Amino acid sequence: MARVLITGAGSGLGAALATQCMGQTAAEVTALDLAPGKPGPHWVVHDMAARDSCIWSGLAQDLRARGPFDLVILNAGINATGPFENVALDAHQAVTAVNLHGPIRLTHMLLAEELLAPHGRLVFVASLSCFTGYPGAASYAASKDGLASFARALRRPLRKSGNICVQLVCPGPMDTPHAAQHAPKGAKADRRLAPGIVAQKVLDASRSKFLIVPGFGATMAAALGRLFPQTMTRIMGRVLFQRLKARP
Amino acid sequence: MKKKTLFVTGGGSGLGAELVRAAHRRGHHVLCTGRRAIADLPSDFPDLPYLSCDLASAGGAQVTADWVQSHLSGRRVDCALLNAAAGYFRPLSAETPEAISEVLTLNLDANIVLAHRLSGNLEGGTLALIGSVAHKGAAGMPVYSASKAALDGFGRALAQEWRGRVAVRVLHPGPIATGMSARAGRKVDLADRLFLSPRLMARIILDAALAPRGRDRQIIGYLRALRGQILPLGRQAA
Repeated sequence: MARVLITGAGSGLGAALATQCMGQTAAEVTALDLAPGKPGPHWVVHDMAARDSCIWSGLAQDLRARGPFDLVILNAGINATGPFENVALDAHQAVTAVNLHGPIRLTHMLLAEELLAPHGRLVFVASLSCFTGYPGAASYAASKDGLASFARALRRPLRKSGNICVQLVCPGPMDTPHAAQHAPKGAKADRRLAPGIVAQKVLDASRSKFLIVPGFGATMAAALGRLFPQTMTRIMGRVLFQRLKARP
Repeated sequence: MKKKTLFVTGGGSGLGAELVRAAHRRGHHVLCTGRRAIADLPSDFPDLPYLSCDLASAGGAQVTADWVQSHLSGRRVDCALLNAAAGYFRPLSAETPEAISEVLTLNLDANIVLAHRLSGNLEGGTLALIGSVAHKGAAGMPVYSASKAALDGFGRALAQEWRGRVAVRVLHPGPIATGMSARAGRKVDLADRLFLSPRLMARIILDAALAPRGRDRQIIGYLRALRGQILPLGRQAA
């Protein structure tokens, strides 16, 4: 039976991934989050922002009993939106800790502990912001660009060493608690992609595909962002940042 | 030419030291921080305010921001060149948790703190973030690549947020012959002969940072160096 590890499995995309993994493939799912979520998977409580090495060795011990993993999805992420200088520094630091320091440290630990099964998959969840830029969430954009570059850099070495397939998911806005909290006022929730659809695309993705951009709208935005990076960021500034700025 | 107030991080050695020298030669007022102790600076280092502080240490960036503000005496920072960085040329399996944390803190988090703390002092000026061409994802240095890509994404977002108030530019230099590559654990080979000299690179970067107009994200490599040599249009005299 396949062993799966999902971070940030308590809500949103992570919860959808855990549910679908268990429902369709009868996988043995290890779900990681700040607190245990719905019954079903095996819950491991861990804060991705932790700096203390004792906490990380505790996590290593928990994961050794559950691995090695055939599929690892590093999905946990937080955001801090608003004009950069008006958002508290602590919030920016928490974003880079959870979204960038944490996943890199966890990946390092999975390699050191040989917890990635040969022929397995290692999936990083970044953001459509990697293509469009994200004014109004500078530290979040930073963390996701960092994660995307990290995935790109790992792709070849991991394929060579254990035939481990590294993949990068860049989802656009989804209908999740995360988006509801950080979307500008008046944004239409029904226009956002359901996390279940994104989860399905991630789980079904072929091993030969590195980049997964779920949904037609996101695919178009990513293509435009590639062709006209600066223009796309200016548009994001107009349609997103100006509205975030107006938020009380 | 008007004298400007510049702030340079990582100014004790490498590209940063050359940026400091170039700015000092042009008559600018330079504030500089670096990891090196003052006693370990080269004997010909220009005489200017220097703070010895490790930006990767806890509170290091806050201390640095306080120090800059205490030296401004009402002036603004015309240009902050956030250049301090570290990295190792090695696969992820050869990294340590401590080194990962140090590289991400120094190359990204410290710059977020400095930009946040100095945002008021930069009004009307320029924030120049020194990235690297490795930001696109280099297989030999995953953590460094990640940190520089993160800096790029940060600058890209902030440039749009601050447009019209503070010019934010991410300048990505190609390989420079500063010895960082050898220190980072990369074997010295033929390619090293192709690295641009830190002195030339510093001049080009300073021009790009101080230019009244420019793209938000720029690659500073051979093409740029050639253009600077053959067509010195709009360049300030050294």
